Amino acid sequence: MNKPKHSNWPLGLAVIALLIAVPFAYLTRPTQAPKLQAASALPVKAAHVDHHDIVKGPFKTGQEVTRACLACHKDAATDVMKTSHWTWESKPAVVGWRKEPVTIGKINQINNFCIGTQGNENKCMACHVGFGWEEGRAKQQANAENVDCLVCHADPGVYSKALWGNPGPKVDLLAAARSVRASTRENCGKCHFDGGGGNGVKHGDLDESLYFPSRSLDVHMGGKYNLQCSDCHVTRKHQILGRMVADNFHIDPAEQASCEQCHKGVVHSDERINKHLSSVACQTCHIPAIAREEPTKVNWDWSKAGQKGREDDHYTYLKIKGEFSYASDFAPTYLWFNGNNEYRYILGDPIAQSGPTYINKPAGSIADPKARIFPFKVHTAKQPYDKVNGYLLQPVTAGKGGFWTTFDWNKSFEMAAPITGLTYSGQYGFTETVMYWATTHMVQGSDAALHCDDCHNVGGSKDSESPLRMDWKALGYPGDPVQWGGRRLK
Amino acid sequence: MKTSNRNSLMRWNSLGLLLAGAVVWSAAQAATPALQAMHPSVALLDEQGVNVLKSGQAVSTLKTCGQCHDASYITSHAFHADLGLSQFGTAAKGSWNASNGFFGRWDPLRYRYLTLAGDELLDLSTPEWLMANGKRVVGGGPANTARNGQPLQALAPNANDPEASMLSTDGKRVAWDWKASGTMEMNCFLCHIAKPNLAARAEAIGAGRFGDANTATLLGLGIVESGGGKAKGWNWNRAAFTADGLLEGRKLALQDPSNANCAACHGEAHPGGSTPIQVSACDLDQPQTATTGQVVSGLRIKLSGVNLANKESLNRSWDVHAERQLQCTDCHHARNNPAHARGDLGNRPSHLRYDPRTVDIAEYLQKPDHDLARGPGARSHASAVPQGDMRRCDTCHDASTHATWLPYVATHMAALACETCHIPQQHAPAIQAYDWTVLTADAQPAKTCRGVQGEPGNVKSLVDGYVPVLLARGEAQSGSSGLAPYNLITSFYWVVDDAQGRTRPVRLVDLQTAFFGSGDSKKPIGQHAYAAEILVAFDTDKDGHLSAAELRVDTPQKQEAVKARLLGLGLKNPRMDGQVQPYAINHGVARGAHVLRDCAACHNKQSRMQEGMALASFAPVLPHLEPGANVSTSGDLVRSSDGALRYQPVPARDALYVFGSSRIGWVDAIGLLAFLGTLVGVSGHGLLRYLAWRKRPHHAEPTHPVQMYDAYRRFWHWLQAISIVTLLATGIVIHRPDWFDADAFPAMVTLHNVLAVLLVVNAALSLFYHLATERMREYLPRPQGFIHDSMRQSAYYLSGIFKGEPHPFEKRPDDRMNPIQKLTYFGILNVLLPLQIATGALIWGAQYRPDWVALLGGLPVIGPLHALAAWFFATFIVGHVYLTTTGPTPLEGIRAMVTGVEEVEDHV
Repeated sequence: MNKPKHSNWPLGLAVIALLIAVPFAYLTRPTQAPKLQAASALPVKAAHVDHHDIVKGPFKTGQEVTRACLACHKDAATDVMKTSHWTWESKPAVVGWRKEPVTIGKINQINNFCIGTQGNENKCMACHVGFGWEEGRAKQQANAENVDCLVCHADPGVYSKALWGNPGPKVDLLAAARSVRASTRENCGKCHFDGGGGNGVKHGDLDESLYFPSRSLDVHMGGKYNLQCSDCHVTRKHQILGRMVADNFHIDPAEQASCEQCHKGVVHSDERINKHLSSVACQTCHIPAIAREEPTKVNWDWSKAGQKGREDDHYTYLKIKGEFSYASDFAPTYLWFNGNNEYRYILGDPIAQSGPTYINKPAGSIADPKARIFPFKVHTAKQPYDKVNGYLLQPVTAGKGGFWTTFDWNKSFEMAAPITGLTYSGQYGFTETVMYWATTHMVQGSDAALHCDDCHNVGGSKDSESPLRMDWKALGYPGDPVQWGGRRLK
Repeated sequence: MKTSNRNSLMRWNSLGLLLAGAVVWSAAQAATPALQAMHPSVALLDEQGVNVLKSGQAVSTLKTCGQCHDASYITSHAFHADLGLSQFGTAAKGSWNASNGFFGRWDPLRYRYLTLAGDELLDLSTPEWLMANGKRVVGGGPANTARNGQPLQALAPNANDPEASMLSTDGKRVAWDWKASGTMEMNCFLCHIAKPNLAARAEAIGAGRFGDANTATLLGLGIVESGGGKAKGWNWNRAAFTADGLLEGRKLALQDPSNANCAACHGEAHPGGSTPIQVSACDLDQPQTATTGQVVSGLRIKLSGVNLANKESLNRSWDVHAERQLQCTDCHHARNNPAHARGDLGNRPSHLRYDPRTVDIAEYLQKPDHDLARGPGARSHASAVPQGDMRRCDTCHDASTHATWLPYVATHMAALACETCHIPQQHAPAIQAYDWTVLTADAQPAKTCRGVQGEPGNVKSLVDGYVPVLLARGEAQSGSSGLAPYNLITSFYWVVDDAQGRTRPVRLVDLQTAFFGSGDSKKPIGQHAYAAEILVAFDTDKDGHLSAAELRVDTPQKQEAVKARLLGLGLKNPRMDGQVQPYAINHGVARGAHVLRDCAACHNKQSRMQEGMALASFAPVLPHLEPGANVSTSGDLVRSSDGALRYQPVPARDALYVFGSSRIGWVDAIGLLAFLGTLVGVSGHGLLRYLAWRKRPHHAEPTHPVQMYDAYRRFWHWLQAISIVTLLATGIVIHRPDWFDADAFPAMVTLHNVLAVLLVVNAALSLFYHLATERMREYLPRPQGFIHDSMRQSAYYLSGIFKGEPHPFEKRPDDRMNPIQKLTYFGILNVLLPLQIATGALIWGAQYRPDWVALLGGLPVIGPLHALAAWFFATFIVGHVYLTTTGPTPLEGIRAMVTGVEEVEDHV
């Protein structure tokens, strides 16, 4: 008989278990990389602190409120003053057609909507994050107490701004100060949804329908997520992520908001769609239409302003502004775009010799590896220019004695001359300009995004009522990439 | 009305194309100098070969296009033109079909019967066949050639010749003059120009002016205008031609056939764009959609202008290939087109994977083979030309990517056509049944449409689609057969015999006379009044109207009434008959999340394989199944007591065995009996032992510890035991998923395979061990005295054990098993285990070596064998575990197998 040996049966059992479990786990492993939960990348915000018992009034002016805020939030004002929300201009940029670096912003440049703010601060600064513009730019910008905390942080239902950026006359400043909380879509939207002088006029993808959007209007802001602006435009020390194409020349990608902040990794389960990512921006397929619910302005003819006896109508003609046309729920214009402008009109630049003058022109081409096909809203306008000097003019419109009072163009330009630094020859005309606004809101989910059939049109299969969404030849392709293949980068 | 909508849609499509082309063209003009059109300018010639500008006659496509393209080759290699004419023969007794094509095979849906030579009664003569069907006839074949091969124009007008006569509106035979009407040559323009004028062509054909049809196709392009009838000729627009009298290729916009060209006859291939599409339900003007519910469109289903059930969830496009911009001609191309050369097809030697040698493009353009590539689902009777030479899914797609989630990929690919899972449901309505045994007030059959609740044409009716039935279809290339989705259309009709005893369907004009009385056919639709005898028999609630519920031959009185009317017309032996025809579904493909991925859909008691299809809510007679040449309709037609008809598939008849769904009742019954019987037996034996032990005085049996099992033996035993038990557990879930959570099925299959491999490796290693160390002899019963020793052991189990007697044989490490045990293990290890392993291996190997498996009877034999052996294994385990309790203490046996040391009774 053998001597009884000690048995190590737990080891045997473990080996058996492994022999079964390991192959089984290997064969049933998930083969697709799990879709990273985008929601996990949302910024974590500080908990809300109710200021009803903290803030003690009374407050007679906005500056008094700011002083009270700064008692605890000591750095808040100086932080704000470093940002473009305060300065209304970009950092100095070196542009190829000027010797000195230039800054670009609403403070000193023009667009083809209301044209320019210089001389019109009484009205325009209602959307500035500061008070006290009646003192002039230098004084206003130097004073930290001019920072308006309430416009972004108070409940918009109890606070509003009026002339020179100051609080409205009927506003209860104490109530407003007590209502402060983290900014909501309503705070940002009060200015950004109504830019250009009305609901949805300017951007096309930002308007008041985004206050209470449905999921089918915007999948982030509507539906179950109800994201606020600051969830994507992440803000640290009042420095808000995101830059507008209209008011910049080159944009540092680190300062720009992008889909990839949250949507990382393999974003589509369809391989073919993922192949598009190298030449098509997310926005192109996920934003099929601009101004889905509220109309946006697509053309503004200043030359018709000031006509006597013509009735005012918000959507077609206003005596102070001229003739315009609106459009809603239309497809954007698609251009190659690498995130920068290749040209931005600087005050004093000559107008184009032929064709429209570009206020801004997105940079990118089919040969640029950083460029993607991107959707834009195009706004055309007819605005005043100096016939002799050959540059665009910035009139005083809302300002005292400006065009909106006198309906006299010559006087407006003469008044503007010392303010803007543009000499006025005495002869004005109207010329065509065009401006490109990037479309990045009113995002659709995968159930409503574009699919193959919407851009590709092999065999001429589209019916005549649907214009082709993509003009392949204009984009630089020899033909439809389904047949010709995608672009080949060196 | 529908036709003109469709045609105007076509016109808009083509106009859009022209406009888009013009825009692009003019844009290109700005950029680059104008490029010449690829197609050279041609002179348009008439039948005599004279330039139409001189003669002012209709254009002859064969003479015109034949200047460069080999017209005789094309017309003789085109099943679209031939339509069965080349196979036309006299019908055999019992069959009234003269060919397998559109011309000669009776279509119960369109009902009119193409009369053969020698038939007494004329239904559809050749000219009337052309007038009725000509919209969908490309010309050539029966449109200009007689059944004996002569040109039609050589036939003399003869009221008794079904090829040169016609039935007038008052039912009399009149002669037809082909020379006057002209015939239709194969119409190149119909498919090869961007904007063929389908309406004008259809109008000319419908009026019998066949010679005008081809020229009418060119109306509206600014090339020609109607001269006001054939006598006055055609007004050719001189300005459209060059100085030399040639017409520029670009003016005609000659092109490869586009989807719109195909859709002109086949129907419902929608262009892209933002206009919501509308589907014309069960409308035979769109035959492909009407018969199957297929819609070829890249648009999202939920954006359609159709009242669909659960519309918001229908996120996918109608057809993913249309969405991805494939055209009809990408798959259905000319067989000798060098751009689509199938170098991987055909009789090539095995050392070549692909043969790139093709026809030169110039030769191809001269002799393009118009026998287009067709898939295996094509109505096999449409032409004698072999089908199945079209590129199939696996030409472009790699099915092995299924392996990431699908066990047994190769088995599934062999048993199922791709369409089964990739077209899981149809979302548009399709025809279900046509009952021509009755006529409605507007002289139509009683029609039912599946997939829609309510009237098909009404936009308010809810379209809920239908699930196709799966029929086994043979693939010409691979020779294998797989299940593919089909729609089954049932039709019922009256048939009669003629004087020669040939069976024919009752002519429409006779049926109308029977139901409405003579002379009624002249009345406009909707104003037919039923004949008195019909009304009396059918109008059961006596309200003067025949409702849908009354309008069916469901009583002997109704049947006799109609019979009497038919007999009164001089027709002999009227009786009802019916047929069920399969229509293949190949378009409307889905991808990704919308594909059938749920194992439980087939691997379950309620399985897609056995689902069948409702054929008719009332069947007046049991129809026969009309199979295609390559589709198996092996199921049963089941008629319930209320007359409803159903098709019930029987997968076993197609040699299909689906785990989890197929089961043989008696196999499971035997197995369960053995298992339960043993369980009951050992429970009883154990109970008796316990009772006997209680009665006995208790004293501990003296034992001494023995190292009975070494480490390897214990390891392989427990690995074997755990594997077998888990195999049995996973096996029962696979066999009867309806008893468990059906979602576990794929994981169970994977686990079963893992364990099976472990078991085989374990058993093989153990076999080697026992052979190499000669321990095998421990399992072999000694032949001498075997019976005697077995009897002693049996006596112990049957009586001695109750008395507390010691075991008859001492258990020693080198002789651990009593004779009965040795015999049992011998059987288990040499019979049952190899059988189970072999059947299991064959089940897995069936995907790679279907021929070996088929030799043994296929899966329908091997599957149940595997199940039976599994039941016996389960039975063995019950007995085995029980018998381990026969040691000094009940758990001693198991403990010993774990620790290796056993307390053995001291033997005297």
